[in-house]
Amino acid sequence: MKNAISKKRPYGLFKEIDMNKQIEVIICSGTACYVMGGSELLLLEENLPESWRDRVTISGSPCLGFCRDRQHGKAPFVSVNGTTVPRATIPVILELIGELLEAHDASQ
Amino acid sequence: MNGNTFVEVGFYQTRKYGQGTEGDTFLSRKTSDGRIVTALSDGLGSGVKAGVLATLTASMAVTFISDDIPVRRAAARIMRTLPVCRERGISYATFTIVDINTMDRVKIIEYENPPYLLVRELTQVEPIKTPVPVSAAKGRKTPPVMQYSEYDARAGDRLVFFSDGIPQSGMGTKAKPLGWGNPAVQDFALSCVASQPHMSARELARRMVTEAEGNDSWKAKDDISCAVIYFRDPRKLLVMTGPSVDPERDRDMAEIFGSFPGKRLLCGGTTAMILSRELGRKVQVSLKNRDPDIPPAGSMDGAELVTEGIITLGKAAELLESGYSGQPVRENPATRVVDLFLDSDQIEFVVGTRINDAHQDPNMPVELEIRRNIVKKIAALLEERHLKETSIRFI
Repeated sequence: MKNAISKKRPYGLFKEIDMNKQIEVIICSGTACYVMGGSELLLLEENLPESWRDRVTISGSPCLGFCRDRQHGKAPFVSVNGTTVPRATIPVILELIGELLEAHDASQ
Repeated sequence: MNGNTFVEVGFYQTRKYGQGTEGDTFLSRKTSDGRIVTALSDGLGSGVKAGVLATLTASMAVTFISDDIPVRRAAARIMRTLPVCRERGISYATFTIVDINTMDRVKIIEYENPPYLLVRELTQVEPIKTPVPVSAAKGRKTPPVMQYSEYDARAGDRLVFFSDGIPQSGMGTKAKPLGWGNPAVQDFALSCVASQPHMSARELARRMVTEAEGNDSWKAKDDISCAVIYFRDPRKLLVMTGPSVDPERDRDMAEIFGSFPGKRLLCGGTTAMILSRELGRKVQVSLKNRDPDIPPAGSMDGAELVTEGIITLGKAAELLESGYSGQPVRENPATRVVDLFLDSDQIEFVVGTRINDAHQDPNMPVELEIRRNIVKKIAALLEERHLKETSIRFI
């Protein structure tokens, strides 16, 4: 039996750490996003409620590449768990993170 | 590029404590025939009056020597123009003029400044100096005598010249009652070079001045200036900014990046992403220590620095225009870009000319300049103010 478990989760330890980080937020810091309000988005981490901090990873990207195509909407862009959020603001992103965390807790 | 070496000119100064402006002036110029002509002048006294006299002297010196007016005649003309102090019978400004031709032949004319140092392979070399008397204005008690010397520079040579604020620093203190003194100044310059054999001209000049200022307990008793001319192997920098109009050329960009023999700087989000994709290397953006005005910088293997494009380059151009010379109060991506420029000799810009439509949106709160124009402006500033060699290639 022991063998079977290790096959399912070969990197058990790493996976567990990953499990804590349920939400991945990537903020675009390219020119268009930056001037359209992205500069403030970069303060997202400071606005994150204490209890969420362990569950959310925030990183920057040189450019997510969405501004070049109108169909994605308008800058600034943020990617939350792979979903593109146009015209992103801190309240919008916080709300989305909240929903995702709730959904995650419900599914557990 | 003179001969096989690059001539790096570095300068640093501080003004007498409490004065509003510097009384020493340093000018350098590249002539149309490829010579490098520089002059350091120290105006008698300090403050605005000294500054005006020093600027007058240095500008005349650089202009005359650039125009091939013989040294003696140029000097005589400067002396006749300069007022002579009635009480002391000495001229109002001193100077050191250095003229370097394309074969690295160096000619130096000194008048009343401390003798220059020539550092070659960690020792000090003293070329023979010929006294050149000058016919001068009336009212002088003694005819002025300049010292003329010339030599062939070799790779690795450093020529260090400074105003008397350096050897006289610390005068009257218990530690150095007679000032720092020329022998100790020489030793200090040699020890700096010995500790860091590739120290840039800019850095050596800064250290000399900072040490002298320290001797005066950080309240300089005179204007302190130091210029260093370093004959070095060129330090190369590649600046890649902007995606190409033709996506087929992304591969070429990666190739240029990979094969460049020197440091590499990436300015632009799309540029960074293209190279990240082509080279299979990750770009990381640091969200720590952010500057409120400039997008955060990042890193990628093989690149010295990765920054956003237009805003950062625009700020870098502003810094260069304002006369920034390193040592920022607070470091940000733009100061880091400028520091990279100043620490390089040959700077190659590879500029993609694709325009991002999102930048042309009239709703943008800031006006974004066209990339080519900013790059051209930066290259011109680096050539004119910092005697760098630049090239711009559009892809």
